[in-house]
Amino acid sequence: MIEVESLYFKYPLANDYVLKDINLKIGLGEVVGIMGGNGSGKTTLIKHFNGLLKPTKGFVRIFGKDTREESVAYFSKKVGLVFQNPGHQIFSDTVWNEIAFALKNFGFEEEIINKRVKWALEFFNLTQYKDMSPLLLSGGEKKRLCLASVLAWNPDFIILDEPTVGQDFLQKEKLIEIIKMLITQNKTVIVVSHDVEFIWLLQPRLILISNGTIVKDGDCKSIFKDNSILEKCGITKPQLVELYDELYPLIEQPPVDVIEAYSMILKLLRGLK
Amino acid sequence: METLTEIIRFINFSFSYSGSNSPILKNINLLIEEGDFVLLVGPSGCGKSTLLRCINGLIPHLYNGVYEGEVIVDGEPVKNKSVNELATKVGFVFQNPENQIFMFSVEKDIVFGLENIGLDKTEIDDRLSWVLRALDIEHLRYKPPYELSDGQKQRVAIAGVLAMKPKILILDEPTSLLDPRTALEFISLLKELNRKFGLTIIAVEHRIDLLTNVANRMVVMDKGEIVFNGCLKDVIENKNLNLHGVNVPPVIALQNYLRNEGFIFDAFYLNVKEFSKEIKRRLLEID
Amino acid sequence: MFWLAEGLVYRRQESIIHSLDPRVKLIISFSLFILSLFSSTIFEFIILLSAIFLLGVLSKVLRRMIKTITFSLTFVIMIFVINLLVGYDLIFSIVISLRFIAIISSSSIFFLTSSPDELDLVMRSLHLPYDLIFAFVTAVRFVPVILLDAIQIIDSQRSRGLEIEKGNIFKRIRNYIPILIPLIVQSIIRSEELAEAMESRAYGFSKKRTSYYTLHFKMKDYLILCLHLMLVVLFILLVYFLHL
Repeated sequence: MIEVESLYFKYPLANDYVLKDINLKIGLGEVVGIMGGNGSGKTTLIKHFNGLLKPTKGFVRIFGKDTREESVAYFSKKVGLVFQNPGHQIFSDTVWNEIAFALKNFGFEEEIINKRVKWALEFFNLTQYKDMSPLLLSGGEKKRLCLASVLAWNPDFIILDEPTVGQDFLQKEKLIEIIKMLITQNKTVIVVSHDVEFIWLLQPRLILISNGTIVKDGDCKSIFKDNSILEKCGITKPQLVELYDELYPLIEQPPVDVIEAYSMILKLLRGLK
Repeated sequence: METLTEIIRFINFSFSYSGSNSPILKNINLLIEEGDFVLLVGPSGCGKSTLLRCINGLIPHLYNGVYEGEVIVDGEPVKNKSVNELATKVGFVFQNPENQIFMFSVEKDIVFGLENIGLDKTEIDDRLSWVLRALDIEHLRYKPPYELSDGQKQRVAIAGVLAMKPKILILDEPTSLLDPRTALEFISLLKELNRKFGLTIIAVEHRIDLLTNVANRMVVMDKGEIVFNGCLKDVIENKNLNLHGVNVPPVIALQNYLRNEGFIFDAFYLNVKEFSKEIKRRLLEID
Repeated sequence: MFWLAEGLVYRRQESIIHSLDPRVKLIISFSLFILSLFSSTIFEFIILLSAIFLLGVLSKVLRRMIKTITFSLTFVIMIFVINLLVGYDLIFSIVISLRFIAIISSSSIFFLTSSPDELDLVMRSLHLPYDLIFAFVTAVRFVPVILLDAIQIIDSQRSRGLEIEKGNIFKRIRNYIPILIPLIVQSIIRSEELAEAMESRAYGFSKKRTSYYTLHFKMKDYLILCLHLMLVVLFILLVYFLHL
């Protein structure tokens, strides 16, 4: 469980707070989307979830423990953060070692490390590259490798910062599949993204941030219907919600994916035939 | 309609980077006309970025490799043109504008390119005030890059190349770092540049729903080859697009499903509003 | 991440000093720097530091100037203590410490009131080759950007359980490998992108590069320069020759 209680944060030397009065509780088995304009404080917020940043005022507790009381490594074991740019973490000589890096840091035994790395390589279709330098992988593969290197230590919370940037359709499909599978294992996935279509497909609990404060925290269906809040946070509507806006009351709920939209429209066109 | 003139042409073009044994571009034939707004898509690693770099001469002038066939820009082969001349024909906006702004103020950064091509003071003055006005960034004139938001940086990057008065503007995933609203604003700016100044635009973009209402041409690449090429409306209705890694916008995918089921539409609707209007019209008809 | 730029880099501001020709600012800053090197009594430093702080007030950067001094305070104290320990008397140790403060603050006058662009103009007026000037400007321009990269990389690796401060000295040095390698790789990628962007803006391919900016002394510049030089001469006469 991640608990955030009246969190205020500012960088040393700065005058203004980047985060103001953030209150949050995130439990296990949730999908959470965090959205907001550039510079709204999203990345600063998620860096509090494993203790990389400590609150200037207020508290962040991970499974009941204040992030000021333990090391980043201690919290990272439970909360895995995958940053946007793979270039900021890839350094090993081989793909295998890149995945094993964190497992070694966390002090797992050799046997378990081997087992976990093997699993991660297979799960992410990277086995054929295991002895290759990770720098030679394509952009999409590098992103997959970063996710693999975090999932390998089996954290309870997985935080993804802009996972869809530069990703094509097939890679996005795969990502959604992985997120859904993680949820069935009672993990929590937190996705920070600008990609409204991707967020809509996840149907998450949605947290909107603007200017360092939480503007709205709730069900993504109701938030995406609320024009004034979206306007305030600089977020556009997913096409399927637009469709609902245009056709309401002919359809009663925004469809969650194209298949549902298709069956709704089909019903409309057929029902009246 | 005015007569269209050719601006870019690839003729049986192939390229492989030196040191690599497989070609990154294979037998490309492509014609782009002046004033076109081309949406270029394809899975990562398909050769899109390489193709763009062949147009503004980074290939072969900066990167070496095996260069076969011909790329013709504004009537002359790229490989015969000097980089200097190409810079005034083709503007290139990269994915990360941070790496494209060199100077400590917006004005000085715009002037940088103009000094490079050896313009005199009065000409620089003219172009400077023109480009600041055209992109609506007069208020940013004296700001340093670290005081600019991401969207503003993207505009400044465009200003820097637009001041060189190019005929072609190339953008490599220009909105990938922008939030949804800023991205939309940016796209409408591109539309204006295309319509108002007749600028030929070629944009690589993964979120193609942003561009379906502004682009008129669409080119799909996969594994170094062009798989689809034509009028955007014709290309986008192709059912196999997602197999080539293209993020087909939901409203398009929806129409494909309905067509499969035997519902024929007069036209292919690119945005939700028009599509919904058509659905409503049909329902009334049935009534 | 704006705080980085705020603490370390020139910030746009308006004041009498900021609007001076950068060459005048350089001369003022540099002459005070030289005087700081040669002054040797507490009395001289009181005059010098008052002059420097007065300039700080006039250019509205006093607060940041003091911040810079506070940053270097550990050095000042170290210098002071070491001097005492090696057997110099109290007065001499104070003088040495004051000299250090005067050097830091006098040179900060130029950097706090002039953008790197202005330094670019000074270099152009000295007819240095543009390649050199451009290299300098981009280096300064990208220092904060690369610093941000470094922070991101450290955050990424700490999130993967890297504990930089753990272990003996050899282990600690090894701990920096996962940070240095991505930083070098990122910097190489960045410089490649810069090269592409430079070439796309026709950098280095024209034999007749023009210069849009030229520096011209205005009345104000002449006046302030004269006033400054008179004060410097007065100071030198009074202090060094008349031993006041």
